[in-house]
Amino acid sequence: MISYSRVETAMYEAMKTAALKMPPDVLDVLQKAMKEESDPLAKMHLELSLQNAMFASEGKGLICGDTGFPLFFVKAGNRTEVEGGFGRLWDAARAAVAKATAESFLRPTMVDPLTRSNPGNNIFRGMPKVELSFEGEGNSLEIIAAPKGGGSEIFGTFYKMLFPSDGKTGIMKFIIECIKDGCYAGKICPPAIVGVGIGGTADLCMKLAKEAALLRTVGTHSSIPEIAEMETKLLSAIRESGIGPMGSKGINAVMALNIETAATHTAALPVAVNAQCLVGRRWKAIISGDDSKITYTGTL
Amino acid sequence: MSFIKCLQLPLRKEEAASLKLGEIVNVSGKIFTGRSRFHIRAIESNILPPIDFASVNCFFHVGPVMKKDGEEWKIVSIEPTSSIRFERYGADVIRKLNLRTIIGKTTMGRRTAEALRETGGVYLSKIGLCGNMLGTQVKKVHDVFFLEELGKTEACWVMEVENFGPFFVAIDSNGRSYFEDMNAEVSDRMKKVNEMLGIPSEYAYTKVNPD
Repeated sequence: MISYSRVETAMYEAMKTAALKMPPDVLDVLQKAMKEESDPLAKMHLELSLQNAMFASEGKGLICGDTGFPLFFVKAGNRTEVEGGFGRLWDAARAAVAKATAESFLRPTMVDPLTRSNPGNNIFRGMPKVELSFEGEGNSLEIIAAPKGGGSEIFGTFYKMLFPSDGKTGIMKFIIECIKDGCYAGKICPPAIVGVGIGGTADLCMKLAKEAALLRTVGTHSSIPEIAEMETKLLSAIRESGIGPMGSKGINAVMALNIETAATHTAALPVAVNAQCLVGRRWKAIISGDDSKITYTGTL
Repeated sequence: MSFIKCLQLPLRKEEAASLKLGEIVNVSGKIFTGRSRFHIRAIESNILPPIDFASVNCFFHVGPVMKKDGEEWKIVSIEPTSSIRFERYGADVIRKLNLRTIIGKTTMGRRTAEALRETGGVYLSKIGLCGNMLGTQVKKVHDVFFLEELGKTEACWVMEVENFGPFFVAIDSNGRSYFEDMNAEVSDRMKKVNEMLGIPSEYAYTKVNPD
């Protein structure tokens, strides 16, 4: 059985590290993009972003000052047991986020949507958000902490109910329009990871888009050939738009375009887009079900 | 790195007028911070901090990450926030406080650009992620207003900065906009993007409501 205190520690460390360290796959792609850009401002956007990340990794600040929405994606196996039950994951998430906020690794950013009052610790109705899923027969617990920045969430979230007759053409048109809108003046902080959900109900569709943006290694493609082809096609087309890093003149508006699909109604074709910004913040903790040992990694 | 022009705050009208779109600059002098709550309260309720806006004339759009070290406030990170969100009140705030320098992320819209043309001011946009470096260029945190009611992120901080930047000129004192110019080019290039994807120019989504 995994002890409650280990869960809290893992959540805190993963969230803190996500705020301080850029994932290796993201870092790699940004370095390549910097070499590719020729406009001086486009290059400088990436140069300074990488320098900023280096400062953060040395303990001199944060990868981005907007630490955004505190999100946890937790995956358990069929035999995983958590002390006190799975409901305690939410207690652990709250304790971890409160601690990380008190220590200024997270900015107090979560507020009441109407009164705008700020509790000061990022803990308020529904936040931090814990997304729990089950997979396989194992007994370990996998936690991905993702402080999701405001820019990409606020300006990079779109949903449209298309219809079967709108087809692939409609889907691609919508995705391209969303990217152009989101990238204007660097709103979503390009080069972005663009997550796309196709199918499901409205909420499932958006969940697919969010997880496509946050939980897939940059540079990988869908295992479904038809979807992988769409990803590649969209990715190379958007390079011709003239949009570069932070909305400057360049080619790297999008570093990855990830599509996930789910079954949908025979009358429907829902499409959702959710962007992740250039720093792609997320860090993973795996707690062993045998000895509660925690392993941390920036690789998914 | 390209040549960086150093500007003294408060920015003089002639100096602002000499700045060109896309030009890279940094600033030295006093700045104040604010976000949505500052804008809404300043215009809807006339709530303003007791600041001499003639000398503290640079409005920095940011929610800094602050840490208290004894009696002193220290900056963890000071990453500019998306200014375009403040478009509803931006122009009114600029006119009311007679501002000549705005610093933020992204850009602002037509109404704000027009207000800047009137005050002879400019809008400067951040370059990349820069909050850690900018933090080291803040020499002193002078004051903080509205901390109790708005919290650390939305409060109004007054700071002294030195060679603060770099930023680029995204709206000049004639009201011209770097991103609006660029968007025209991008819209043109989107034709090719659509072509590559086989999206006909006359393509329309299925309509289920009348016009």
